[in-house]
Amino acid sequence: MIKLKNVEKKYRRGAEEVRALRGIDLEIQAGEFASVIGPSGAGKTTLLHILGCLDLPSSGELHFDGLRVDRMRESELVTLRRNKIGFIFQQFYLIPGLSVVDNIALPLLFSKNKPAPGRIEELARQVGLSDRLHHVPAQLSGGEMQRTAIARALVNDPEVILADEPTGNLDSANSEKIFDILHKLHQNGLTVIMITHNPELAGRAGRTISIKDGIIEQ
Amino acid sequence: MSGMLKLSVQNLLRHRTRSFLTMLGIAAAVGVLFSVFSFNRGFDQGLARELQATGLHFMVVPVGCAHEVAALVLHGTVVPKYLDATVIDDVRSTDGVEFATPILVAQLPNPDRHRIDLIYGVEMEVLREIKPDWQITGEIPTAPHEMLMGYDVAEHAGLTLGDEFRYPAVDETFVVTGIIGRTNSQDDAFVYLDIATAQRLMDNPDGATAIGVKVASPERMGSIISELEEAVPGIQTVTMSQVMNSVANVAASAKSLSLAIALVALVIGAVGVMNSILMAVFERSQEIGMMRAIGASRWNIFQIILKETTILTMVGGAAGIALATVGARLIENYVRRIMPYVPGGDMLSFDPLLALACVGFALVVGVGAGLYPAWKASRINPIEAIKGS
Ligand SMILES: Nc1ncnc2c1ncn2[C@@H]1O[C@H](COP(=O)(O)OP(=O)(O)OP(=O)(O)O)[C@@H](O)[C@H]1O
Ligand SMILES: [Mg+2]
Repeated sequence: MIKLKNVEKKYRRGAEEVRALRGIDLEIQAGEFASVIGPSGAGKTTLLHILGCLDLPSSGELHFDGLRVDRMRESELVTLRRNKIGFIFQQFYLIPGLSVVDNIALPLLFSKNKPAPGRIEELARQVGLSDRLHHVPAQLSGGEMQRTAIARALVNDPEVILADEPTGNLDSANSEKIFDILHKLHQNGLTVIMITHNPELAGRAGRTISIKDGIIEQ
Repeated sequence: MSGMLKLSVQNLLRHRTRSFLTMLGIAAAVGVLFSVFSFNRGFDQGLARELQATGLHFMVVPVGCAHEVAALVLHGTVVPKYLDATVIDDVRSTDGVEFATPILVAQLPNPDRHRIDLIYGVEMEVLREIKPDWQITGEIPTAPHEMLMGYDVAEHAGLTLGDEFRYPAVDETFVVTGIIGRTNSQDDAFVYLDIATAQRLMDNPDGATAIGVKVASPERMGSIISELEEAVPGIQTVTMSQVMNSVANVAASAKSLSLAIALVALVIGAVGVMNSILMAVFERSQEIGMMRAIGASRWNIFQIILKETTILTMVGGAAGIALATVGARLIENYVRRIMPYVPGGDMLSFDPLLALACVGFALVVGVGAGLYPAWKASRINPIEAIKGS
C-alpha cells in the first residue's frame, strides 16, 4: 500500500546538512499495524511525515496505492492527505475554542465531504466520548483530548492512520486506552502506523520497524 | 454558523482583548469617516437648501465687509459698521429692484439674565419673504412692543407665547408673540424685533447693517448691481451665490482636512489589523501546520485567516457606523460650535447607502491589510510548524 524505495531525506541546518533518512526501503501492507521505534533523532517523525505524504523525499521513490507521490503536485498531495490519511500527534493539536464535535469535524471543512447524519456522534462513541460532545478541549483530560484527535483523524474515512507518539503525553492507563482504540481500528481493517518510545506497546503491534540514524535496522 | 466562519470567530475570541482593541481602531476610523462624509453631504445640501429658500437675491453691505462676514450678517453677527441712512432710498429707487429691506444686527445687554442678547432688527412685513422656511408658532409681531424669539433663546429663557420680557437697560418690556421652530442654525440664537424698534433701542434711528434686495427679474441682477455700485458710494454688494460659494470655500479646506484625518485613522486601523492578525498567525503556526497535515490546502489556510480580518473589519466598521449614528447629535453640536457658519437643518442625517459604502471601503482596506498575514500563514511549512514545539 505504501512503498519507499531508497528514500533519502536531507535537511539544511545552516551550512550543515542533516541526513535524517539514509536510504530507506520499506513496504507497508494494507491493514498492517506497525510500530516505529528508535532513539531520539533517529528519523522516526521524518519517516512518518513521508509516509503521510506531508513531506517528500529528497531522493528515492514514494508510492501510495500505486501512485508516484514523489512526483505529485501540491494540490494532488492535498487531495491524498484529505481522503486517505489520518494524522495523530503527541500534542493532540485541538482547536481550543471548538467543542469536541467541531474538532472532530474539522477536516470536513477542508475536504467538503458531507458526513452521514450521526457520523460525528458515532465516531465520538467509538472513542468513548459520547458524554463529552460539547466540551471544549480545556474541559477534557489528556486522554480525552487524544481520543478526540483520533476521531478527527477518522472523520474522512482514511485508509491509514499515522500516529506520532500518541501516548507520549499520557499516563499508562490512558496510553492503554489509546492503544486499544488503535488496535481496534486495525482489526476493523485500517492500516495503522504508530511511533512510540514504549517498547511494551511497540511489541504488541503486529510489526515493529526499528530505525536508527536514518536507517532501518534488522 | 458555517464551520469555517465558526473557526475564524473562535480564533478571534481566543484573544478577546486584542481583537476588541483592533476592532475599536477600525470602529473609530470608520465612525469618523462616516461622520465626515455625512457632515459634508449634509453641509452641501443645507447650503443649497438655504440658497434656494432665501427670498433675497443680494445684500448691500458697507465697503470692506468680506463675503464671509456678509454670510454671517445673513445669520446675524454684530458688525460695527453701518450703512448710511440714505442708502436704503437709493437702493429702493434703483430700477429693477422689487423690494429692499434694511437689517440691523446688534447686541443688547440683559443684566437680569446675565447675558447679552443678540438683536436682529428686520421689517416684519417682509420676514416671510426673507425667511420662507421658518416654522413660527404664534404670530409675527405687528406692534412695536412685540417680539419674535429664536428657538434657543426662548428655551434658555424658559419663555412661552404671551410671556413678557424686559430690558432694564432701555427700560422697555416686550411681549413674545411668536417662537421660531428649531432651525439648527444661528437663527435660533436671536431675538427678532421690528427694525424701527431695534433702531430706537440702539439709539440709531436709521442704522442698518445690511440691506437685503430682491430683484424683479434675476437675469438682470448683474446690471442692477453694477448700476447700484456706481451710483452709491461706500457700499458693496454680495450676491447670495457668492455668499454660499465663499462659505463653501471656507468649509472646503476643513472638509478635506477632516477627510484626510479620517483616512489616516483608517490606515492606522488597517495596520492594527495587520499586526494583530500577523501575531495570531505566528502564535498559531503549529495549529496551522496540523491543519495542513489533516487536509487543509494553502488556499484553505489563506481563507481562514482572511476571513478573520474580514470579520474584524466588518464588525468594527458596523460598530463605527453605530457609534457615529448614536453620537451624531453630539458631533453636530460640536461642529456647529467650532465652525463659523453651518447651514440650518440636520447635518448628520443617516444615509444607509453612505453607511454601506463606508463599511465597504473599510472592508477593502481591512482585507487588503489581511492579505499579507493570510499569505504568510499559507506559506507556513507544516513539518517545521508541527516539530517546532
Ligand atoms: N526541519 C529540520 N531541519 C533540520 N534538521 C531537522 C529538521 N527536522 C528534523 N531534523 C533532524 O533530522 C533528524 C531526525 O529527526 P526526527 O524528528 O525525524 O527524529 P525522531 O526520531 O522523530 O526523534 P524524536 O524521537 O526525538 O521525536 C534529527 O537529527 C533532527 O535534528
Ligand atoms: Mg519525533
